Amino acid sequence: MAAPEVHHLFHAPIADHSFSADRNTVAVARDTSVEIYKRVANSFKLKDELKGHDKTVTSVDIAPNSGHRNALVWEPTAQGYKPTLVLLRINRAATFARWSPNETKFAVGSGDRLIAICYFEQENDWWVSKHLKKPIRSTVTTVAWHPNSVLLAAGSTDAHARVFSAFIKGVDSKPEPTAWGERLPFNTVCGEFMNNSAGWIHSVAFSPSGNALAYAAHDSSITVVYPSAPEQPPRAVITVNTHLLPFMSLIWNGEDEIIAAGYDCEAFRFRGGEDGWQLTGAVEAKGRPDQDADQREESALQMFRQMDLRGKVKDDTQLKTVHQNTITHLRPYETSGGYLTKFSSSGVDGRIVIWTL
Amino acid sequence: MSIIREHTQATLTDIWRTIDIDALTEDSSVNFPVSTLVPPTVREVTEPEARQVATQVRQLLRGGDAEGALRLALENPVYATPTGHELAREVHMQTVVEVLQGIKASEMNGVLKSIYASPGGSECLDVLMKYLYKGMASAGSGSAPKTPTRVTPQPTGIPSQFAPRPGANPESVGAAMSVLLSWHEKVVEVAGLGCIGRVMTDFRRV
Repeated sequence: MAAPEVHHLFHAPIADHSFSADRNTVAVARDTSVEIYKRVANSFKLKDELKGHDKTVTSVDIAPNSGHRNALVWEPTAQGYKPTLVLLRINRAATFARWSPNETKFAVGSGDRLIAICYFEQENDWWVSKHLKKPIRSTVTTVAWHPNSVLLAAGSTDAHARVFSAFIKGVDSKPEPTAWGERLPFNTVCGEFMNNSAGWIHSVAFSPSGNALAYAAHDSSITVVYPSAPEQPPRAVITVNTHLLPFMSLIWNGEDEIIAAGYDCEAFRFRGGEDGWQLTGAVEAKGRPDQDADQREESALQMFRQMDLRGKVKDDTQLKTVHQNTITHLRPYETSGGYLTKFSSSGVDGRIVIWTL
Repeated sequence: MSIIREHTQATLTDIWRTIDIDALTEDSSVNFPVSTLVPPTVREVTEPEARQVATQVRQLLRGGDAEGALRLALENPVYATPTGHELAREVHMQTVVEVLQGIKASEMNGVLKSIYASPGGSECLDVLMKYLYKGMASAGSGSAPKTPTRVTPQPTGIPSQFAPRPGANPESVGAAMSVLLSWHEKVVEVAGLGCIGRVMTDFRRV
């Protein structure tokens, strides 16, 4: 496994990050602004700062192909960048924004117990939004689109992961029927799932085919749902409780692997299928070579000096992981043949890391 | 970061924070029904049922099958329900504590590992963790006279009104607490921090 590419951008938390399609530009959410970094040789240099929010920016997403319409989201209302204003009609913090795969719509989760589906209305030359409201009972923490750009998965602090239809007449063409549903008017609830221990949901993701849904909850578990047919109970719901701290973000690698990361500051792999899922280990290679080398170089003199100065044998202020704090988001970076070859992660430590699988 | 916020020009004019926006919303989150967070599989357990489980557990324990006894006790937790019987919960709490005290310190690790590795084992240890915390809590407050795990404050510097009640033997109480603590240590070793997290998020209270 090639060594991960580490970019330490600044000493402040990164709430979310998003790469452009050519992977030469990365947008990160930092405090109240969005910073755009451009790749220069092997590092990223600050190119632009998008200001205009007066509250913390919670989420950022670049439309993968057009790359020029960031949705900046903040409390207590939200707007689009460049410089069209999008009326979200919400009076609580917007928490999470994602473009649909076909880039005609984006979804914004909010503390107002609703999801705003925003789309461009040709007649009025204006971005408008429609609300997904029922039956969300609490803040929406995360959303994820189905590959068909109609179905939307959402996780909430009411401990439920739900699948909605976000079909907008005039924008979407009628989707192919899937296992989630056949007729899908706006706000159809195609599925509602909860873990036994009812941790709130941190992350949701559809598998590449869209025929399975995974979500990570605050009870340190991930759950995978395989739907059977519309209006029927799912074929299989598999929950993996782990001995780790909760996961903040998860992504699929093909149909049989999930990568999840969060408060443990490193990414973990899960493997499985309909018959069951298992935690198979950490993505980071154990016994990271560079740190071992450091330790060997430590001479006896160094050791006693450390003991004298700080009263301890080893300098243990560093975590053994690459990220030095919670990982906030994982994103696919490079795929080939339906499988990930690289993915990126951003953390509270201000680092963006590109991992090679 | 300090909890005390710095007063800047921006925060001083944060009057909007005092607006009660819930007042304008009909079904606001203030009325969030927590009962929706309890899975429908939670069943009400009556006191005789709890006593029946206790008898079975004791039989296993007497027969020397400590692991089987612990497993049986953890597979039949008595959760708090709106109409549930407090007494059933008390009875089961006592059953669990009895099993815990009946297992030798040297056997703890083996028992926990084999339970954790079996199907549904992670769930069992989550339940065990809940009982450990409940045991420690009721020990501290002394509000649960039925549990033998009451602990008393340290003798130094405690005003007389907090002194142990007559009859309570501080040494035996301390011993009970140390049993719970050593179990806690072992459970974290086997089931990890995720187990503690699940106890905190779970709405199924024992």
